[in-house]
Amino acid sequence: MAEPLIVVEDVVKAYGARTALDRVCFSVHGGMVTGLLGPNGAGKSTTLSIIATLLVPDRGSVTVAGHRLPAEARPARRIIGLVPQRLALYPTLTATENLEFFSRMQGLRGREARAAVERVLALVALDGRAHEPVGQFSGGMRRRLNLACGILHRPRVVLLDEPTAGVDPQSRERIFEAVETLARDGAAVLYSTHYMEEAQRLCAQVVLLDDGHVVATGTPAELVAQTGMRPRVELRTAHPLPAGWLDAAPVARLVEHEGTAITLEVTHDPDVASVLLAVVRAGGDVVEMSVHHPDLADAFFVLTGRALRDEDGARE
Amino acid sequence: MMLGGLGAAIRKDLRLLARDRVGLVFLAVAPVIVITVAGFSLASLYGASARGTSPYELPFCDEDGGRIGHALTRALGDEPAVRLRAVATRAEARDLIRTHHAGLALVVPAGTSEALADGTPARLVVYTDPVKYLEVASLRVLVQELRHRVERGARDRAAAGLTKTRAHALVVRRRFERAADHLRRERARVAAALDSARDDAEARIARARRRAAHALDVAVAAVAAEREAAVRSRLAAELAPLQRYFAELSARQRDFTAWLAAVREKAGRLADRMPPPPTMPEPPPQVAALASDDPSTLAARLLPPAAPITLPPAPEIDLPAPPALPDLDLPAFPEPPRAVLPGSLGIDESSVTGAPPKLNTFDQNVPGFSITFLLLGMLLGVSLGLLDERDWGTLERLRAMPMPFTSTLVAKLLARFLVGVAQMIALFAIGRLAFGISLGPQPIALLLPTIGIVFAGTAFGLVVAAIARTREAVLPVGSIVIVTMAAVGGCWWPIDLEPPWMRQIALALPTTWAMTAFNDLMIRRQPLAAAIRPTAVLLAHGLVYLVVGLTLFRRQNA
Repeated sequence: MAEPLIVVEDVVKAYGARTALDRVCFSVHGGMVTGLLGPNGAGKSTTLSIIATLLVPDRGSVTVAGHRLPAEARPARRIIGLVPQRLALYPTLTATENLEFFSRMQGLRGREARAAVERVLALVALDGRAHEPVGQFSGGMRRRLNLACGILHRPRVVLLDEPTAGVDPQSRERIFEAVETLARDGAAVLYSTHYMEEAQRLCAQVVLLDDGHVVATGTPAELVAQTGMRPRVELRTAHPLPAGWLDAAPVARLVEHEGTAITLEVTHDPDVASVLLAVVRAGGDVVEMSVHHPDLADAFFVLTGRALRDEDGARE
Repeated sequence: MMLGGLGAAIRKDLRLLARDRVGLVFLAVAPVIVITVAGFSLASLYGASARGTSPYELPFCDEDGGRIGHALTRALGDEPAVRLRAVATRAEARDLIRTHHAGLALVVPAGTSEALADGTPARLVVYTDPVKYLEVASLRVLVQELRHRVERGARDRAAAGLTKTRAHALVVRRRFERAADHLRRERARVAAALDSARDDAEARIARARRRAAHALDVAVAAVAAEREAAVRSRLAAELAPLQRYFAELSARQRDFTAWLAAVREKAGRLADRMPPPPTMPEPPPQVAALASDDPSTLAARLLPPAAPITLPPAPEIDLPAPPALPDLDLPAFPEPPRAVLPGSLGIDESSVTGAPPKLNTFDQNVPGFSITFLLLGMLLGVSLGLLDERDWGTLERLRAMPMPFTSTLVAKLLARFLVGVAQMIALFAIGRLAFGISLGPQPIALLLPTIGIVFAGTAFGLVVAAIARTREAVLPVGSIVIVTMAAVGGCWWPIDLEPPWMRQIALALPTTWAMTAFNDLMIRRQPLAAAIRPTAVLLAHGLVYLVVGLTLFRRQNA
């Protein structure tokens, strides 16, 4: 594997008495999306700000494409594309005017700048609204334009800080596609999110961050595997089942049985059919059933003892 | 990249401003409205002028109906600072004061013109409402000036009459003196003619006397010559035998001498023994003289001298003396006295600063309120503009870009600077077209303080943005500072209305220097050089603000 484009080693950052990052280490390679996953306040934005040269770590080192920060911040900025969590757009300017301005700020000129504007407009599917003031855009369109403004100069390193916060599903999908395109084109994409689904969908590697510490690093499957959790089946029957009903399905392990509510663990998904068959044989009627596969949220919970989000499953 | 980025940042900020209609109205329309209102409201501070005139109403009651009343009416009618309102009675004039329609009324009492013509004092009557201090003061000065003008006119007329009379007397005196001189010359000429005639007669008599004496002398000489010639002829005849005897005697004496000598020679040694010859007696000298003298001499000696002939004196001619001319006793014509009326003490007012005596109030208000709104615009444009960027998140994005953050800030300031300069130029152009403000002898020179104050204002906006980090803080902090700077710096009223200690404090404010330069160029009509020092101070202010602002802003956003 090629040298990583982002190398973060033992980074410490404190705001007064509060330590935001404590000996954080990870690396990001080109051509893939690396998720920075953690709850609010875990240190994701601080990490991205340090890599984006907006903050200086108190200790540790950060290298971006061989440039050590903060000493070589200037050349590093040329290859970094930052998509901040907060929308960073001029609302009274049109999409094109915003993009033209930021392309100039990135050092693009003339034809090159115009081509870059057209390219990113197409990438985020805003080419039809290019000349409308941003103030008239929906939240999702603004998010897409926010992403476009950060990738005008074909950055080798893309830092995305919660890029889908508050967007509609259609826009989110557009953003996912754009991020995947960037990774396919060889960029090292560091994707900060607290949405487990996004990380699982996009990221080839995930860095789990909690309270300023890196809890675990690996592919989503590796992280889930670390938890030792298995698919969990939750059932609700019309009547309580007789004792010993599960003997017919030895692949399942009873976790909890209280009245008509039953929770089971299975080794594989096909084992669910055996469980249902056992219920039927015991004369039970399944009123409600759900299968929960272990995921990164579970992994996070197992690793940290608390949920990834305060309101798990809620979208902004 | 730097220049391209700067240009893009400037274009971006100009676009943002162009899309901000409220901001544009604030920059362009609000100052014009305030300037217009303030200009007309504060016109009385400078006296009325053609532009922005708000003349005071002056009730005027002419009870006199004479020359003084007419003169005052005419003079007040020509005065742009007042609108004359003729009233029939002084009671009506008093009512207008009491009902606040006017601050001062003027009454010319009956008989004023007549009294003045008779040389007796007269008084004008003025009714005032002291509460209307400025109006009363202004009109009182005006009335005093007119009164003085009328008095001066009367005095000048009297002086002119006296001068004319004296000139006439001088002409008559010169004529009299010329006639007297002529008379004296004629008398002298007659006296001289008489003296001359007498002298001529006396000279003629003297010449006649001399001619007669000469003729007598000639006649006497002729007679004496005839007589002498006759005596000489007779003497010659008488003395001829004697002369011959003496001639013979002389010859014989020479012969004897020669003989004796011969004898002595022959005697030789014996000659010494020879006895001397006998001596012959000498003829008497008188006889010898008779023989030797010529007859003329003898005649002269013998003839008695001619007795002088004395003619009897010519009778004296006693010429009569010329008649005595009477003396001219002309009286002296005294020089007419120079009548001098006591002089009137006038005031020659001349503007040594180049400012015209009557100011256009907008010459003060246009730059003053333009600066005020410029600074407020800068406060909104720079401070709130940067807060907007912070709120929009673009500031953070820009900080992560290759373009140095300082350059990004400078670009924003440059854009605002250009807008500020354009705003000032536009407001001055409106001031020129709408209110006829003066642009001074070198309008281009106005760019100097304009650039200076816009630079200082732009940089000050950055300082405010760095100090006040929220929109809620920017407006009160910036507004208080800017309003204070504008007021103390003389943007709203002439700085000379402020007490000296406040004027000293004002020197620390950029607004003071900007107004100093604008007043010098526009009101005092000074050349470009007058704006150099204030502009340098403004640029120094701007530089300090810029350094402080950039330092604070970078520190806060590090």
